[in-house]
Amino acid sequence: MTARRILVTGSTRGIGRAIAERFLKDGETVYLHGRSADAVDRVLSDLRAKFPQVQGVAGDLADRQRLRDLASAVGELDVLVNNAGYYVEETVEQVTAESWNSLMAVNVSAAWFLAKAFLLSLRQRRGTIVNIASDAAFVGIPGGASYCASKGALVGLTRALAMELIPDVRSLCICPGPVETDMMWNQVATAPDPAVMREQWMSFAPLNRVAKPEEIAALVAHAANPQASFATGAAWLIDGGQTAGKRLA
Amino acid sequence: MSLDLALAGKTALVTGAARGLGFGIARALSEQGVAVAINDRTQEIAQQAALRLGKGAIAVGADLATEAGPMHCVDQALRVLGGIDFIVNNAAINIENPIDQTTDDLWDSHLNIILRAPHLIIARSLASLKQRKGAILNVASELGLHAIANNVAYVTAKHGLVSLTRAVAAEVASSGVRVNALCPGTMDTELMRECAAASGDPARYYAAFNAYHPVGRIATPDEVARFALVMLSPLSSFMTGTAIAFDGGSTAARVWGALP
Repeated sequence: MTARRILVTGSTRGIGRAIAERFLKDGETVYLHGRSADAVDRVLSDLRAKFPQVQGVAGDLADRQRLRDLASAVGELDVLVNNAGYYVEETVEQVTAESWNSLMAVNVSAAWFLAKAFLLSLRQRRGTIVNIASDAAFVGIPGGASYCASKGALVGLTRALAMELIPDVRSLCICPGPVETDMMWNQVATAPDPAVMREQWMSFAPLNRVAKPEEIAALVAHAANPQASFATGAAWLIDGGQTAGKRLA
Repeated sequence: MSLDLALAGKTALVTGAARGLGFGIARALSEQGVAVAINDRTQEIAQQAALRLGKGAIAVGADLATEAGPMHCVDQALRVLGGIDFIVNNAAINIENPIDQTTDDLWDSHLNIILRAPHLIIARSLASLKQRKGAILNVASELGLHAIANNVAYVTAKHGLVSLTRAVAAEVASSGVRVNALCPGTMDTELMRECAAASGDPARYYAAFNAYHPVGRIATPDEVARFALVMLSPLSSFMTGTAIAFDGGSTAARVWGALP
Protein backbone atom coordinates (compact mmCIF):
# COMPACT_ATOMS: atom_id res chain seq x y z
CA MET A 1 0.00 0.00 0.00
CA THR A 2 1.37 3.41 -0.92
CA ALA A 3 1.70 5.98 1.80
CA ARG A 4 -1.19 8.43 2.13
CA ARG A 5 -0.57 12.17 1.95
CA ILE A 6 -1.79 13.84 5.15
CA LEU A 7 -1.80 17.46 6.34
CA VAL A 8 -2.22 18.13 10.06
CA THR A 9 -2.68 21.82 10.88
CA GLY A 10 -1.26 23.11 14.15
CA SER A 11 1.00 20.09 14.57
CA THR A 12 4.18 21.45 16.14
CA ARG A 13 2.90 20.56 19.61
CA GLY A 14 0.01 19.17 21.62
CA ILE A 15 -2.70 17.05 20.04
CA GLY A 16 -1.64 18.02 16.52
CA ARG A 17 1.90 16.78 17.00
CA ALA A 18 0.64 13.51 18.47
CA ILE A 19 -1.61 13.06 15.43
CA ALA A 20 1.28 13.78 13.06
CA GLU A 21 3.60 11.34 14.85
CA ARG A 22 0.94 8.67 14.90
CA PHE A 23 0.48 8.87 11.11
CA LEU A 24 4.26 8.97 10.61
CA LYS A 25 4.63 5.79 12.66
CA ASP A 26 2.01 4.21 10.39
CA GLY A 27 4.27 5.05 7.43
CA GLU A 28 2.18 7.87 5.98
CA THR A 29 3.57 11.02 4.36
CA VAL A 30 2.73 13.79 6.79
CA TYR A 31 2.86 17.55 6.31
CA LEU A 32 3.42 19.22 9.65
CA HIS A 33 2.09 22.72 9.99
CA GLY A 34 2.69 25.56 12.42
CA ARG A 35 2.26 29.30 12.38
CA SER A 36 5.99 29.94 12.67
CA ALA A 37 8.50 28.49 10.23
CA ASP A 38 11.06 28.21 13.06
CA ALA A 39 8.77 25.99 15.09
CA VAL A 40 8.06 23.80 12.07
CA ASP A 41 11.80 23.51 11.32
CA ARG A 42 12.54 22.55 14.93
CA VAL A 43 9.98 19.74 14.91
CA LEU A 44 11.10 18.61 11.45
CA SER A 45 14.66 18.24 12.66
CA ASP A 46 13.43 16.31 15.73
CA LEU A 47 11.50 13.90 13.56
CA ARG A 48 13.46 13.61 10.32
CA ALA A 49 15.98 10.98 11.49
CA LYS A 50 13.21 8.60 12.50
CA PHE A 51 10.69 9.57 9.79
CA PRO A 52 12.51 10.71 6.64
CA GLN A 53 9.19 11.14 4.80
CA VAL A 54 8.06 14.04 7.04
CA GLN A 55 7.39 17.41 5.35
CA GLY A 56 6.55 20.84 6.73
CA VAL A 57 4.63 24.00 5.87
CA ALA A 58 4.24 27.18 7.89
CA GLY A 59 1.85 30.12 7.97
CA ASP A 60 -0.89 31.96 9.80
CA LEU A 61 -4.20 30.22 9.09
CA ALA A 62 -6.08 33.50 9.56
CA ASP A 63 -4.38 34.80 6.40
CA ARG A 64 -6.33 33.62 3.33
CA GLN A 65 -3.46 34.28 0.92
CA ARG A 66 -1.20 32.20 3.15
CA LEU A 67 -3.81 29.45 3.11
CA ARG A 68 -3.86 29.51 -0.70
CA ASP A 69 -0.05 29.32 -0.85
CA LEU A 70 0.01 26.57 1.73
CA ALA A 71 -2.52 24.48 -0.21
CA SER A 72 -0.58 24.75 -3.45
CA ALA A 73 2.69 23.92 -1.67
CA VAL A 74 1.17 20.73 -0.24
CA GLY A 75 -0.56 19.67 -3.47
CA GLU A 76 -2.75 16.59 -3.28
CA LEU A 77 -4.13 15.08 -0.09
CA ASP A 78 -5.71 11.84 1.09
CA VAL A 79 -6.41 13.08 4.60
CA LEU A 80 -6.92 16.63 5.85
CA VAL A 81 -6.79 17.04 9.62
CA ASN A 82 -8.05 20.47 10.70
CA ASN A 83 -6.54 20.52 14.17
CA ALA A 84 -5.27 24.09 14.65
CA GLY A 85 -7.28 26.02 17.18
CA TYR A 86 -7.01 27.97 20.37
CA TYR A 87 -9.00 28.92 23.44
CA VAL A 88 -9.80 32.46 24.52
CA GLU A 89 -10.83 33.17 28.10
CA GLU A 90 -13.09 36.22 28.02
CA THR A 91 -16.49 36.97 29.45
CA VAL A 92 -19.38 37.70 27.09
CA GLU A 93 -19.04 41.39 27.88
CA GLN A 94 -15.32 41.35 27.07
CA VAL A 95 -15.67 39.97 23.56
CA THR A 96 -14.63 42.31 20.74
CA ALA A 97 -14.96 42.05 16.97
CA GLU A 98 -11.16 41.71 16.80
CA SER A 99 -10.83 38.82 19.26
CA TRP A 100 -13.84 37.10 17.69
CA ASN A 101 -12.52 37.49 14.13
CA SER A 102 -9.11 36.01 14.98
CA LEU A 103 -10.58 33.04 16.82
CA MET A 104 -13.16 32.21 14.16
CA ALA A 105 -10.62 32.60 11.35
CA VAL A 106 -8.36 29.92 12.83
CA ASN A 107 -10.86 27.62 14.57
CA VAL A 108 -13.54 27.53 11.84
CA SER A 109 -12.91 29.41 8.61
CA ALA A 110 -9.48 27.86 7.95
CA ALA A 111 -11.04 24.39 8.17
CA TRP A 112 -13.64 25.34 5.55
CA PHE A 113 -11.06 27.03 3.35
CA LEU A 114 -8.70 24.06 3.38
CA ALA A 115 -11.51 21.57 2.76
CA LYS A 116 -12.44 23.63 -0.29
CA ALA A 117 -8.83 24.05 -1.41
CA PHE A 118 -8.11 20.30 -1.31
CA LEU A 119 -11.55 19.24 -2.52
CA LEU A 120 -10.53 17.97 -5.93
CA SER A 121 -7.79 15.61 -4.76
CA LEU A 122 -9.79 14.52 -1.69
CA ARG A 123 -12.60 13.55 -4.05
CA GLN A 124 -10.32 11.78 -6.52
CA ARG A 125 -8.51 9.88 -3.78
CA ARG A 126 -11.67 9.06 -1.80
CA GLY A 127 -10.16 10.93 1.08
CA THR A 128 -11.16 11.88 4.61
CA ILE A 129 -11.51 15.19 6.42
CA VAL A 130 -11.08 15.01 10.19
CA ASN A 131 -11.90 18.13 12.17
CA ILE A 132 -10.71 18.41 15.76
CA ALA A 133 -13.49 20.13 17.68
CA SER A 134 -14.12 19.78 21.42
CA ASP A 135 -16.75 18.66 23.88
CA ALA A 136 -17.25 22.44 24.20
CA ALA A 137 -19.38 22.14 21.06
CA PHE A 138 -21.96 20.37 23.25
CA VAL A 139 -21.53 21.89 26.72
CA GLY A 140 -21.25 25.59 27.47
CA ILE A 141 -18.14 26.92 29.19
CA PRO A 142 -18.66 30.13 31.20
CA GLY A 143 -15.95 32.51 30.00
CA GLY A 144 -15.49 30.52 26.80
CA ALA A 145 -18.52 31.47 24.72
CA SER A 146 -16.52 32.38 21.61
CA TYR A 147 -14.59 29.12 21.81
CA CYS A 148 -17.78 27.08 22.29
CA ALA A 149 -19.39 28.82 19.32
CA SER A 150 -16.34 28.08 17.17
CA LYS A 151 -16.32 24.39 18.09
CA GLY A 152 -20.08 24.06 17.56
CA ALA A 153 -19.61 25.65 14.16
CA LEU A 154 -16.90 23.12 13.39
CA VAL A 155 -19.30 20.27 14.15
CA GLY A 156 -21.79 21.92 11.77
CA LEU A 157 -19.10 22.20 9.10
CA THR A 158 -18.28 18.51 9.55
CA ARG A 159 -21.91 17.51 9.04
CA ALA A 160 -22.44 19.84 6.08
CA LEU A 161 -19.31 18.52 4.35
CA ALA A 162 -20.40 14.94 5.00
CA MET A 163 -23.84 15.51 3.47
CA GLU A 164 -22.41 17.27 0.44
CA LEU A 165 -19.37 15.11 -0.29
CA ILE A 166 -21.01 11.68 0.09
CA PRO A 167 -19.87 9.22 -1.21
CA ASP A 168 -16.49 10.59 -2.36
CA VAL A 169 -15.14 12.09 0.85
CA ARG A 170 -15.87 11.19 4.44
CA SER A 171 -15.99 14.00 6.98
CA LEU A 172 -15.66 13.31 10.70
CA CYS A 173 -15.24 15.33 13.84
CA ILE A 174 -13.30 14.32 16.95
CA CYS A 175 -14.41 16.06 20.14
CA PRO A 176 -11.87 15.70 22.95
CA GLY A 177 -12.47 16.67 26.55
CA PRO A 178 -9.53 17.89 28.66
CA VAL A 179 -6.16 16.85 27.20
CA GLU A 180 -2.68 17.18 28.68
CA THR A 181 -0.98 19.65 26.33
CA ASP A 182 1.25 22.73 26.51
CA MET A 183 -1.99 24.71 26.34
CA MET A 184 -3.15 23.05 29.56
CA TRP A 185 0.18 23.43 31.38
CA ASN A 186 0.42 27.10 30.36
CA GLN A 187 -3.01 27.71 31.82
CA VAL A 188 -2.04 25.90 35.03
CA ALA A 189 1.27 27.79 35.33
CA THR A 190 -0.30 31.21 34.81
CA ALA A 191 -3.24 30.66 37.18
CA PRO A 192 -3.29 32.59 40.49
CA ASP A 193 -3.06 29.23 42.26
CA PRO A 194 -1.50 26.63 39.92
CA ALA A 195 -2.24 23.71 42.27
CA VAL A 196 -5.93 24.54 42.36
CA MET A 197 -6.03 24.98 38.59
CA ARG A 198 -4.28 21.62 38.08
CA GLU A 199 -6.80 19.94 40.38
CA GLN A 200 -9.62 21.59 38.44
CA TRP A 201 -8.28 20.22 35.16
CA MET A 202 -8.01 16.73 36.61
CA SER A 203 -11.58 16.81 37.89
CA PHE A 204 -13.31 18.21 34.78
CA ALA A 205 -14.10 14.72 33.49
CA PRO A 206 -15.78 11.98 35.56
CA LEU A 207 -12.71 9.81 34.83
CA ASN A 208 -10.74 12.22 37.05
CA ARG A 209 -7.84 12.60 34.69
CA VAL A 210 -6.91 14.33 31.47
CA ALA A 211 -6.31 12.48 28.23
CA LYS A 212 -2.88 11.96 26.73
CA PRO A 213 -2.61 13.51 23.26
CA GLU A 214 -1.76 10.01 21.95
CA GLU A 215 -5.23 8.78 22.96
CA ILE A 216 -6.83 11.45 20.77
CA ALA A 217 -4.40 10.67 17.94
CA ALA A 218 -5.42 7.00 18.01
CA LEU A 219 -9.06 7.93 17.42
CA VAL A 220 -8.09 10.31 14.61
CA ALA A 221 -6.09 7.50 12.99
CA HIS A 222 -9.12 5.23 13.20
CA ALA A 223 -11.38 7.92 11.70
CA ALA A 224 -9.05 8.16 8.70
CA ASN A 225 -8.73 4.37 8.39
CA PRO A 226 -10.71 2.40 5.76
CA GLN A 227 -12.00 0.29 8.68
CA ALA A 228 -14.12 3.35 9.56
CA SER A 229 -15.48 3.68 6.02
CA PHE A 230 -19.13 3.56 7.17
CA ALA A 231 -18.60 6.55 9.45
CA THR A 232 -19.23 10.03 8.09
CA GLY A 233 -20.76 13.23 9.44
CA ALA A 234 -20.36 12.00 13.01
CA ALA A 235 -18.96 13.89 15.97
CA TRP A 236 -17.03 11.38 18.06
CA LEU A 237 -16.67 12.40 21.69
CA ILE A 238 -13.59 11.30 23.63
CA ASP A 239 -14.10 13.19 26.84
CA GLY A 240 -13.71 10.98 29.90
CA GLY A 241 -17.47 10.96 30.39
CA GLN A 242 -17.78 14.72 30.55
CA THR A 243 -20.85 15.05 28.31
CA ALA A 244 -22.50 11.82 29.53
CA GLY A 245 -23.72 13.31 32.77
CA LYS A 246 -22.91 15.30 35.87
CA ARG A 247 -22.08 14.65 39.47
CA LEU A 248 -23.46 16.65 42.37
CA ALA A 249 -20.97 19.10 43.83
CA MET B 1 -56.32 27.80 33.76
CA SER B 2 -55.46 30.73 31.56
CA LEU B 3 -51.88 31.41 30.69
CA ASP B 4 -50.63 34.95 30.84
CA LEU B 5 -47.51 35.69 28.80
CA ALA B 6 -46.90 38.63 31.16
CA LEU B 7 -45.00 40.62 28.58
CA ALA B 8 -46.88 43.95 28.79
CA GLY B 9 -44.69 46.95 29.56
CA LYS B 10 -41.46 45.21 28.53
CA THR B 11 -39.07 46.29 25.79
CA ALA B 12 -37.51 44.25 22.99
CA LEU B 13 -34.96 44.52 20.22
CA VAL B 14 -35.66 42.23 17.27
CA THR B 15 -33.00 42.01 14.54
CA GLY B 16 -33.80 41.38 10.89
CA ALA B 17 -37.38 42.33 11.69
CA ALA B 18 -38.49 44.10 8.50
CA ARG B 19 -40.05 40.91 7.14
CA GLY B 20 -40.43 37.17 7.60
CA LEU B 21 -40.20 35.60 11.04
CA GLY B 22 -38.53 38.71 12.49
CA PHE B 23 -41.50 40.88 11.60
CA GLY B 24 -43.84 38.17 12.88
CA ILE B 25 -42.09 38.12 16.26
CA ALA B 26 -42.01 41.93 16.42
CA ARG B 27 -45.74 42.10 15.67
CA ALA B 28 -46.61 39.37 18.18
CA LEU B 29 -44.56 41.11 20.89
CA SER B 30 -46.17 44.41 20.06
CA GLU B 31 -49.66 42.88 20.34
CA GLN B 32 -48.73 41.79 23.87
CA GLY B 33 -47.87 45.36 24.85
CA VAL B 34 -44.11 45.19 24.35
CA ALA B 35 -42.29 48.30 23.08
CA VAL B 36 -40.36 46.99 20.10
CA ALA B 37 -37.24 48.21 18.34
CA ILE B 38 -37.13 46.89 14.81
CA ASN B 39 -33.70 46.40 13.30
CA ASP B 40 -32.94 45.80 9.66
CA ARG B 41 -29.99 46.60 7.47
CA THR B 42 -30.87 50.22 6.68
CA GLN B 43 -32.78 52.88 8.60
CA GLU B 44 -35.20 53.23 5.69
CA ILE B 45 -36.10 49.52 5.57
CA ALA B 46 -36.44 49.38 9.36
CA GLN B 47 -38.55 52.56 9.37
CA GLN B 48 -40.98 51.21 6.78
CA ALA B 49 -41.48 48.06 8.85
CA ALA B 50 -41.95 50.10 12.04
CA LEU B 51 -44.62 52.20 10.34
CA ARG B 52 -46.33 49.06 9.05
CA LEU B 53 -46.34 47.66 12.59
CA GLY B 54 -47.49 50.90 14.25
CA LYS B 55 -48.07 50.80 18.03
CA GLY B 56 -45.04 53.03 18.61
CA ALA B 57 -42.53 50.58 17.19
CA ILE B 58 -39.20 52.26 16.60
CA ALA B 59 -36.65 51.66 13.85
CA VAL B 60 -32.96 50.97 14.47
CA GLY B 61 -31.28 50.59 11.11
CA ALA B 62 -27.87 48.94 11.29
CA ASP B 63 -26.01 46.56 9.01
CA LEU B 64 -25.22 43.57 11.23
CA ALA B 65 -22.70 42.22 8.73
CA THR B 66 -20.31 44.98 9.83
CA GLU B 67 -18.20 45.08 12.99
CA ALA B 68 -19.79 48.30 14.26
CA GLY B 69 -23.39 47.52 13.24
CA PRO B 70 -24.34 45.37 16.24
CA MET B 71 -23.10 47.97 18.74
CA HIS B 72 -24.79 50.77 16.84
CA CYS B 73 -28.01 48.77 16.82
CA VAL B 74 -28.00 48.16 20.60
CA ASP B 75 -26.97 51.73 21.43
CA GLN B 76 -29.86 53.19 19.41
CA ALA B 77 -32.35 50.76 20.96
CA LEU B 78 -31.12 51.54 24.49
CA ARG B 79 -31.35 55.25 23.86
CA VAL B 80 -34.95 55.12 22.67
CA LEU B 81 -36.30 52.27 24.83
CA GLY B 82 -34.42 53.25 28.00
CA GLY B 83 -33.45 49.64 28.64
CA ILE B 84 -33.88 46.23 27.04
CA ASP B 85 -35.75 43.24 28.47
CA PHE B 86 -35.63 41.00 25.42
CA ILE B 87 -33.14 40.47 22.62
CA VAL B 88 -34.28 38.43 19.63
CA ASN B 89 -31.30 37.63 17.41
CA ASN B 90 -33.19 36.79 14.26
CA ALA B 91 -31.25 38.41 11.38
CA ALA B 92 -29.76 35.95 8.91
CA ILE B 93 -28.92 35.32 5.30
CA ASN B 94 -29.22 31.99 3.54
CA ILE B 95 -27.60 31.68 0.13
CA GLU B 96 -27.32 28.06 -0.92
CA ASN B 97 -24.25 26.99 -2.84
CA PRO B 98 -22.04 23.93 -3.27
CA ILE B 99 -18.83 24.30 -1.28
CA ASP B 100 -16.66 25.00 -4.33
CA GLN B 101 -18.90 27.97 -5.20
CA THR B 102 -18.94 29.33 -1.66
CA THR B 103 -16.78 32.45 -2.01
CA ASP B 104 -14.82 34.08 0.81
CA ASP B 105 -17.37 36.91 0.89
CA LEU B 106 -20.34 34.58 1.04
CA TRP B 107 -18.74 32.53 3.81
CA ASP B 108 -17.80 35.60 5.86
CA SER B 109 -21.25 37.19 5.45
CA HIS B 110 -23.00 34.11 6.84
CA LEU B 111 -20.66 33.80 9.82
CA ASN B 112 -20.73 37.52 10.55
CA ILE B 113 -24.50 38.02 10.36
CA ILE B 114 -25.63 34.72 11.88
CA LEU B 115 -22.94 34.24 14.53
CA ARG B 116 -20.77 37.30 15.20
CA ALA B 117 -23.63 39.80 15.31
CA PRO B 118 -25.60 37.93 18.02
CA HIS B 119 -22.50 37.66 20.21
CA LEU B 120 -21.68 41.35 19.84
CA ILE B 121 -25.32 42.35 20.41
CA ILE B 122 -25.49 40.25 23.57
CA ALA B 123 -22.18 41.70 24.78
CA ARG B 124 -23.41 45.24 24.28
CA SER B 125 -26.84 44.77 25.88
CA LEU B 126 -26.01 42.38 28.72
CA ALA B 127 -25.70 45.04 31.43
CA SER B 128 -29.25 46.22 30.73
CA LEU B 129 -30.56 42.64 30.46
CA LYS B 130 -28.98 41.76 33.82
CA GLN B 131 -30.51 44.81 35.46
CA ARG B 132 -33.97 43.85 34.18
CA LYS B 133 -33.55 40.05 34.43
CA GLY B 134 -34.33 39.80 30.75
CA ALA B 135 -34.20 37.03 28.20
CA ILE B 136 -32.37 36.37 24.96
CA LEU B 137 -33.77 34.32 22.10
CA ASN B 138 -31.37 33.26 19.36
CA VAL B 139 -33.24 32.20 16.26
CA ALA B 140 -31.17 29.31 14.96
CA SER B 141 -32.66 26.72 12.62
CA GLU B 142 -33.19 23.00 12.37
CA LEU B 143 -29.93 23.37 10.40
CA GLY B 144 -28.28 24.26 13.70
CA LEU B 145 -29.04 20.68 14.76
CA HIS B 146 -28.41 18.70 11.58
CA ALA B 147 -27.15 19.37 8.06
CA ILE B 148 -28.21 19.33 4.44
CA ALA B 149 -25.96 19.45 1.36
CA ASN B 150 -25.04 22.63 -0.53
CA ASN B 151 -25.52 25.05 2.35
CA VAL B 152 -22.21 24.79 4.18
CA ALA B 153 -21.89 28.38 5.43
CA TYR B 154 -25.43 28.53 6.81
CA VAL B 155 -25.22 25.12 8.51
CA THR B 156 -21.86 25.97 10.07
CA ALA B 157 -23.03 29.35 11.38
CA LYS B 158 -26.34 28.03 12.78
CA HIS B 159 -24.56 25.18 14.60
CA GLY B 160 -22.24 27.79 16.10
CA LEU B 161 -25.23 29.81 17.27
CA VAL B 162 -26.64 26.79 19.13
CA SER B 163 -23.32 26.28 20.94
CA LEU B 164 -23.01 30.01 21.65
CA THR B 165 -26.47 29.88 23.24
CA ARG B 166 -25.42 27.15 25.68
CA ALA B 167 -22.18 28.91 26.66
CA VAL B 168 -23.72 32.35 27.19
CA ALA B 169 -26.58 30.76 29.15
CA ALA B 170 -24.08 28.98 31.40
CA GLU B 171 -22.15 32.17 31.99
CA VAL B 172 -25.08 34.45 32.82
CA ALA B 173 -27.44 31.94 34.48
CA SER B 174 -26.82 33.22 38.01
CA SER B 175 -27.64 36.78 36.98
CA GLY B 176 -31.22 35.82 36.10
CA VAL B 177 -30.86 36.33 32.35
CA ARG B 178 -32.14 33.39 30.29
CA VAL B 179 -30.68 32.49 26.89
CA ASN B 180 -32.29 30.01 24.52
CA ALA B 181 -32.22 29.01 20.88
CA LEU B 182 -35.26 28.38 18.73
CA CYS B 183 -34.67 26.02 15.80
CA PRO B 184 -37.49 26.35 13.28
CA GLY B 185 -37.97 24.20 10.23
CA THR B 186 -38.86 25.70 6.87
CA MET B 187 -41.32 28.61 7.01
CA ASP B 188 -43.52 30.19 4.36
CA THR B 189 -41.75 33.56 4.36
CA GLU B 190 -40.89 36.07 1.65
CA LEU B 191 -37.46 34.41 1.48
CA MET B 192 -39.08 31.02 0.86
CA ARG B 193 -41.21 32.49 -1.93
CA GLU B 194 -38.14 34.10 -3.48
CA CYS B 195 -36.21 30.82 -3.37
CA ALA B 196 -39.19 28.98 -4.85
CA ALA B 197 -39.43 31.48 -7.69
CA ALA B 198 -35.67 31.29 -8.30
CA SER B 199 -35.88 27.49 -8.56
CA GLY B 200 -37.92 27.81 -11.78
CA ASP B 201 -40.62 25.41 -10.52
CA PRO B 202 -42.21 26.94 -7.40
CA ALA B 203 -44.86 24.23 -7.02
CA ARG B 204 -42.29 21.46 -7.03
CA TYR B 205 -40.09 23.46 -4.64
CA TYR B 206 -42.92 23.83 -2.13
CA ALA B 207 -43.95 20.17 -2.51
CA ALA B 208 -40.41 19.03 -1.73
CA PHE B 209 -40.20 21.13 1.42
CA ASN B 210 -43.67 20.07 2.54
CA ALA B 211 -42.63 16.41 2.18
CA TYR B 212 -39.31 17.07 3.92
CA HIS B 213 -41.18 17.75 7.16
CA PRO B 214 -42.89 14.64 8.58
CA VAL B 215 -46.05 16.64 9.33
CA GLY B 216 -46.35 17.16 5.56
CA ARG B 217 -46.24 20.95 5.46
CA ILE B 218 -44.02 23.92 6.22
CA ALA B 219 -44.66 26.34 9.07
CA THR B 220 -46.25 29.76 9.01
CA PRO B 221 -44.08 32.52 10.49
CA ASP B 222 -46.90 33.38 12.89
CA GLU B 223 -46.99 29.95 14.53
CA VAL B 224 -43.23 30.11 15.06
CA ALA B 225 -43.54 33.69 16.38
CA ARG B 226 -46.13 32.62 18.94
CA PHE B 227 -43.77 29.96 20.27
CA ALA B 228 -40.93 32.50 20.35
CA LEU B 229 -43.08 34.57 22.72
CA VAL B 230 -43.57 31.59 25.01
CA MET B 231 -39.80 31.09 25.13
CA LEU B 232 -39.25 34.75 26.04
CA SER B 233 -42.06 34.95 28.57
CA PRO B 234 -41.93 34.03 32.27
CA LEU B 235 -43.85 30.87 31.31
CA SER B 236 -40.37 29.58 30.41
CA SER B 237 -38.75 30.87 33.59
CA PHE B 238 -36.75 27.67 34.32
CA MET B 239 -35.64 27.19 30.73
CA THR B 240 -32.19 28.35 29.74
CA GLY B 241 -29.33 27.17 27.54
CA THR B 242 -31.53 24.98 25.40
CA ALA B 243 -32.09 24.64 21.66
CA ILE B 244 -35.65 23.72 20.81
CA ALA B 245 -36.60 22.26 17.46
CA PHE B 246 -39.89 23.64 16.16
CA ASP B 247 -39.69 21.80 12.90
CA GLY B 248 -42.67 19.53 12.19
CA GLY B 249 -40.63 16.51 13.23
CA SER B 250 -37.81 17.17 10.81
CA THR B 251 -34.86 16.54 13.13
CA ALA B 252 -36.64 13.63 14.79
CA ALA B 253 -37.16 11.60 11.65
CA ARG B 254 -35.11 10.33 8.77
CA VAL B 255 -35.41 12.17 5.50
CA TRP B 256 -36.29 9.84 2.63
CA GLY B 257 -36.84 12.25 -0.21
CA ALA B 258 -34.32 14.66 -1.71
CA LEU B 259 -34.69 18.42 -1.57
CA PRO B 260 -34.89 20.24 -4.92
